[in-house]
Amino acid sequence: MEQFLAQLPQQLINGLTLGSVYALIALGYSMVYGILQLLNFAHGDVYMIGAYIGFGVMTAFLPASGPLPLPALVIILLMFLAAMLGCGLLGIGIEWFAYRPLRNAPRLAPLISALGTSILIQNAVQLTLTAAYHTYRTDKLIPITAGIDLGPARLSAVRALVIVSAIVLMIVLTYLVRRTQFGRAMRAVALDREAAAMMGVNVDRIIVLTFFLGSALAGAAGVLNGLVFSRVWHTMGFNAGLKGFTAAVVGGIGNIPGAMLGGMVLGLVESFAVGFISPTFKESITFFALILFLLIRPRGLLGATAVQKV
Amino acid sequence: MASDKFGRDEWVAQIDARRAAPPGVAGQVLARWNALPLGWRWIGVLASFAAIPFLTSNDYLIRVAGTVALFATLSLGLNVVVGYAGLLDLGFVAFYGLGAYAYALLSSGKFDIHWPSWVTLVFIGVLGLAFGVLLGLPSLRLLGDYLAIVTLGFGLVFVQLAITMDRVEVPWHAGPIDVTGGSNGLINLDPLRLFGLDFGEPLTLFGYALSSVALYFYALLAALAVVLLVIYHLNQSRIGRAWRAMREDSLAAEAMGMPTKRLKLLAFACGSAIAGVSGGIFAAWQHSVFPLNFSTDLLITLYAMMVLGGLGSLPGVVIGAGILAVIPELLRSPELARVAFYSAVVLGVALFLRPRRNGLIVLAGVILLGLILRLATQTLWPDLLSPPTITVAAESVSTAFERTAQTFGIIVQKWIILPMEPTPPGNVAFLVLLPALLAWARLQPSRLKLGLLAPLLYLLAFVWETRLTAEPAVTRLLLIGTLLVVLMIFRPHGLLGTKRVELV
Repeated sequence: MEQFLAQLPQQLINGLTLGSVYALIALGYSMVYGILQLLNFAHGDVYMIGAYIGFGVMTAFLPASGPLPLPALVIILLMFLAAMLGCGLLGIGIEWFAYRPLRNAPRLAPLISALGTSILIQNAVQLTLTAAYHTYRTDKLIPITAGIDLGPARLSAVRALVIVSAIVLMIVLTYLVRRTQFGRAMRAVALDREAAAMMGVNVDRIIVLTFFLGSALAGAAGVLNGLVFSRVWHTMGFNAGLKGFTAAVVGGIGNIPGAMLGGMVLGLVESFAVGFISPTFKESITFFALILFLLIRPRGLLGATAVQKV
Repeated sequence: MASDKFGRDEWVAQIDARRAAPPGVAGQVLARWNALPLGWRWIGVLASFAAIPFLTSNDYLIRVAGTVALFATLSLGLNVVVGYAGLLDLGFVAFYGLGAYAYALLSSGKFDIHWPSWVTLVFIGVLGLAFGVLLGLPSLRLLGDYLAIVTLGFGLVFVQLAITMDRVEVPWHAGPIDVTGGSNGLINLDPLRLFGLDFGEPLTLFGYALSSVALYFYALLAALAVVLLVIYHLNQSRIGRAWRAMREDSLAAEAMGMPTKRLKLLAFACGSAIAGVSGGIFAAWQHSVFPLNFSTDLLITLYAMMVLGGLGSLPGVVIGAGILAVIPELLRSPELARVAFYSAVVLGVALFLRPRRNGLIVLAGVILLGLILRLATQTLWPDLLSPPTITVAAESVSTAFERTAQTFGIIVQKWIILPMEPTPPGNVAFLVLLPALLAWARLQPSRLKLGLLAPLLYLLAFVWETRLTAEPAVTRLLLIGTLLVVLMIFRPHGLLGTKRVELV
């Protein structure tokens, strides 16, 4: 018990870091699901591409030796911008090519098309960048020693950066969805696509924008993940996508605050499982947590118990 | 046209016209074939399949045939869940792996358990059923998409457990126990022993020597036949009709009094049992199991097989499995793969471009473009070009076909620009090619679209020569991924599936 209490703060910090990444992935899943009732299996791979774009920008700016050409924060900002823009465009491309022709197809068709897209992206990366791990040199941008000591726990500067930037992104997203015309249109389309179209909402444009936003968030999550956990590889998106979806389900799929909450909860569960039970069974524990959760509260934490319309 | 008749729906008439046999000799043969009773047709196909070991003594070919039978059985099992009941099961491979690992643990020196094969196979079937129900119960209460993700998670967890369960700590035993052998897998499994027949030993039958591989091939073929029979009759029964009704509209089916939850569980359990037993035979055949035998790659291959042939269509699924199980074997030898690739491109252009004249123009354009580019590079930067990399090794090239394939390869490599350092330009070309092809596919038909096809095909050939032949495994998955997307867009009902009208 004492050991548990001693470890608790550190595991909380680890869980929040992990949770921030999951929450950002879950947001993309949830937004797309809310608007199209489509499971975007390729979302995890968009996240992977984001991590690679961040890696590319980072290697382009890091000198072999000597001082940085730009301040570290500017480089990090550039990594984010490039990854978010690149992933957003990729998301639009995926929607345009793999999902739009299937807008009115049987339910299974877009799911299989999404599966194919995911395989395509993964193997394209493997072909061009090989299957090897690529390592972020975060230590060159942010010194490892930087951080705040909080008694028993330690909040390193990288983790603080991750949590803060995730929160900033979520606030921006919430503002977009709640306060802007685009957000209102998006919520309208999610509620009833046909009715929204009749009210003059350009549904196709809203869907494209939603894909852009969701994919950009996944790209940011990829960069964050790379900054903290360093390693990037071509199949990292599969696992992350699964976690992101789990988080979205836990929060109540289609529900934006739910996705954020679900991501945090999942991150905490996972880091507690690693810290207090066994790192070997990390995935299995999260998975059984998901099943248990689905049994108890199938609509998720914040999901409304919707009645199926016929 | 028949659609002029009164009282006839135009759509029905179109379908009838499409169903009528195509003209020509092929059409007549097809019509004769279709006139045979269904049972005879299947027996004919399976019998010609069964003759393979008598026609060749090449174990490699028989092994490929066995793989086709195994994949066909697996995709049929998947088809019950996805094609009939309409449940997106992404953990199917985990059940297959479960069967394989169960066989491995129950018939090997690992814990020195050696159950009789038939007991093990029956046990595995029951195990598959039980796990199918166990996993289905929580997820079926929910919307279909939750099932997809829960089963996907199950598949992932299965592989990770197989990898990590080599150090399991249990309270009643000092020190960790090695259950699954980790990533080294379990090896030296017992051969299948059924009806007094040892599948590990060659058998002499009426003067024919049947190798162990051939015996396993027959075991797999028998499994395929049994599964076909069972599924066919299941599909014709009340249950099959209920499944289809449920797939079309679960809510309406429930309103008509169908126990949808039980039906879903039944489909799920059926698929899992088939997967489990196939896994058991697979483990015996391979003499070993490894966690990576059950990765997502296999799942995606199975989906591609099922979707290619046509969801819910039995012959379609078997044909899809055949096509996709043979393709990787073709890709294994680069010379053979090259022939297959260029024939596929030429055939595709010749068949799909209308009028036919356009196809010829495009092909000639591609060849001409290649020659011009090659000549230009040769005169401007001769140092960049590499001579053909194919060397003639007399002893390895035996048949006339292989020699022709090699000569063809040398000609192609003299036609295309083959850089000294092929990887970087190949990668760049690949990254340009992918979005370019996608964008091209969405262009409106026009002269521009036709004109752009030639450079695109040239680029495709360039990428093939520089990158894709070097990495057959990646190429296979790239092809499968493309196939899944393109098929869903242009022919979601697959090659042989029937088009469904979606009611909204």
